[in-house]
Amino acid sequence: MNAPFFKYEYFGTDVSLIIAFVIGIAFGFALERGGFGRATILAAQFYFTNMRVLKVMFTAIVTAMLGLFFLSVIGFLDLSLIYLTPTNVMPNLVGGLVAGVGFVIGGYCPGTSIVAVATGKIDALVYVIGMLFGIFVFGEMFPSIENFFNSTAMGSVTLPQFFNIPYGVVVFLVVVMAIGAFAAAEWGERKMANKSLEKKI
Amino acid sequence: MNEITSTRNNYTIDPTLSVWGWEIPVYLFLGGMVAGMMLISGYFLFKGRQTEKNCSCFYLPYMSVILLSIGMFALFLDLEHKLYVWRLYTTFQITSAMSWGSWILVLVYPILLVNILIKPPKFLEEKFPQVINWKKYLLEKPILLKNIGIITMFFGAGIGLYTGVLLSSLGARPLWSSAILWLLFLVSGLSGAAAFVHVIAKDVYERELLAKADNAFLIIELFVIALFIIGLKTATEVQAQAADLLLTGEFAPSFWVFVISIGIIIPLIIQLLAVNHKVKHTALAPLMVIVGGLILRFIIVSAGQYSHWFNSNFH
Amino acid sequence: MNGLTHKLSHIFEHGDHAHIHVKEKPFSNPYFVGVGLGLVLLAAFVIMGRGLGASGALSTTVAVSVNKIAPEHAAKNSFYTEYLGDENSNPFKDWLVFQIIGVLFGGFISGILSHRVKKGIEKGPRISTKMRLVYAFIGGGLLGWGAKLARGCMSGQALAGGAVLNLGSWIFMMMVFAGGYAAAYFLRRQWI
Repeated sequence: MNAPFFKYEYFGTDVSLIIAFVIGIAFGFALERGGFGRATILAAQFYFTNMRVLKVMFTAIVTAMLGLFFLSVIGFLDLSLIYLTPTNVMPNLVGGLVAGVGFVIGGYCPGTSIVAVATGKIDALVYVIGMLFGIFVFGEMFPSIENFFNSTAMGSVTLPQFFNIPYGVVVFLVVVMAIGAFAAAEWGERKMANKSLEKKI
Repeated sequence: MNEITSTRNNYTIDPTLSVWGWEIPVYLFLGGMVAGMMLISGYFLFKGRQTEKNCSCFYLPYMSVILLSIGMFALFLDLEHKLYVWRLYTTFQITSAMSWGSWILVLVYPILLVNILIKPPKFLEEKFPQVINWKKYLLEKPILLKNIGIITMFFGAGIGLYTGVLLSSLGARPLWSSAILWLLFLVSGLSGAAAFVHVIAKDVYERELLAKADNAFLIIELFVIALFIIGLKTATEVQAQAADLLLTGEFAPSFWVFVISIGIIIPLIIQLLAVNHKVKHTALAPLMVIVGGLILRFIIVSAGQYSHWFNSNFH
Repeated sequence: MNGLTHKLSHIFEHGDHAHIHVKEKPFSNPYFVGVGLGLVLLAAFVIMGRGLGASGALSTTVAVSVNKIAPEHAAKNSFYTEYLGDENSNPFKDWLVFQIIGVLFGGFISGILSHRVKKGIEKGPRISTKMRLVYAFIGGGLLGWGAKLARGCMSGQALAGGAVLNLGSWIFMMMVFAGGYAAAYFLRRQWI
């Protein structure tokens, strides 16, 4: 058996949509369990009062990354068949900044806003409408910013390829970084909790 | 459409029949809902619940009349020769499902009218005072009401199964050539109607009963769908290919996601929890059941038209 | 009007929940959830060879709407045509569209199991409801715009791209945190 299954044509496009639905259910379930359906929790991330978002996100990235690494090392999964979004440095930079600011203003990111809508949050519904509008504006602007959108193109490139370090070393570094981030997050949360406690006294 | 013949001798049938648009599935769906509502309201009448203040058997006949009329109108829109509709009623063909259906539909209206007379609307009472006398007459005769209940259930079941027989008698399409299609449509109509009535019912007993009944109908529906698929898969090659349209082909995503998951399994889980007082009753699960029923009709009608006898791989 | 909304809300919430335990359950342990989320992501990679996403489904919706209203206008724009696909297939028959429908139901099931499905507005104590909704719209607009420029959102770029160590995804992720922390100070009235 070889993975990714879809690329080896174990099933067709129609069946892949059913799988998409099932995976989506699991994704939505996990996000809701993590508290990602609440704008207040998501925003607390940026005020160091509740670092859930960082913890969940980095744990997820590390888990999936280690899984991919392990499965490719034992020869089960062909990493070269996994889709990589092409890198365009400047659009990634600017888009990331705008998205980050939008995150704090709106309180959600696209995936979590869907979960929040599912649990009855009106502000998330408004947020989704805003997002549709933002995409529409981008679509209308697209002809004029198409050059920028395609600028500084580097194709599909990964961190190991870019820095020319072995894959395993990068995986190790990311794990170390994540553990550091978790420690910092726990420390920051405790510090903020003490601070608000002092304020109350 | 061209009402020439329902066998392969119709020139619109090969390679794929695609003359039925939204009208037929909507009609089949509304017919199923009305069938379910008539079964439910007939059952309550049979049980003698007209003595209760908020029996749903008082208002279900109104809704049935409205929904059935909308459904008939959709069916009428689909007819190519609209002016010849009366000809259906100059004859009765014992072997024709359409003939049976059109006569059942006509007989249903007086039955629903009698149901309405048990608790007629105010304006009718004011305009025609004799209506009050009829109402009194009916209410004094519980045995008669019981029988009206039975007749209502009988004709409700008639509409429900006829919508399925209509398709399975169209021999030109392998997906529809299943003897169990009538049961599928009847159960699906019942689950949709039970979900709907369970939301609008004012009587607590009826609400709880229908929530439980809906769960039972949904479970039966799952079994019937399984039998429907197994029946096709174990029949001829073309029928197996027709079943594959739903299982892994063109219609698989909407079938598995919208009909099976969102239309049956997810609302079933939610309603089972609600019946056991683990979560709140909301209108969302019933809404999913009803939408799932509508999509089921759309998929069966379009996939049926897409499937054909000689080569299902032909595009 | 008030009577109508009352009636409507009555339909959605029956009176018989008085004896049901409706207290919200607390959220799960973040590391535990993270492992679960990571395994879901890994499953997507192993089965499909691609990660999760969210904004793509919304782009399809926008592209289809524009195409419905002004087909010629949409046909000239390569951003829309990419989401519309060829004429033979329905643009909604798309991996991300079905995945987002799943997210909607997955979130709902999890919420209902832990009694967290409740109509409401998420906001800090110092901001009015109206302003919160205005901010939500603006934030959504910025994120929609930014995510399209960056070829993905937090799910598609940061989460999925992060796990495959995609260079562009890590740039995006760092910038999201940078932008977020930079803007957080100015928006503190909204949240704390």
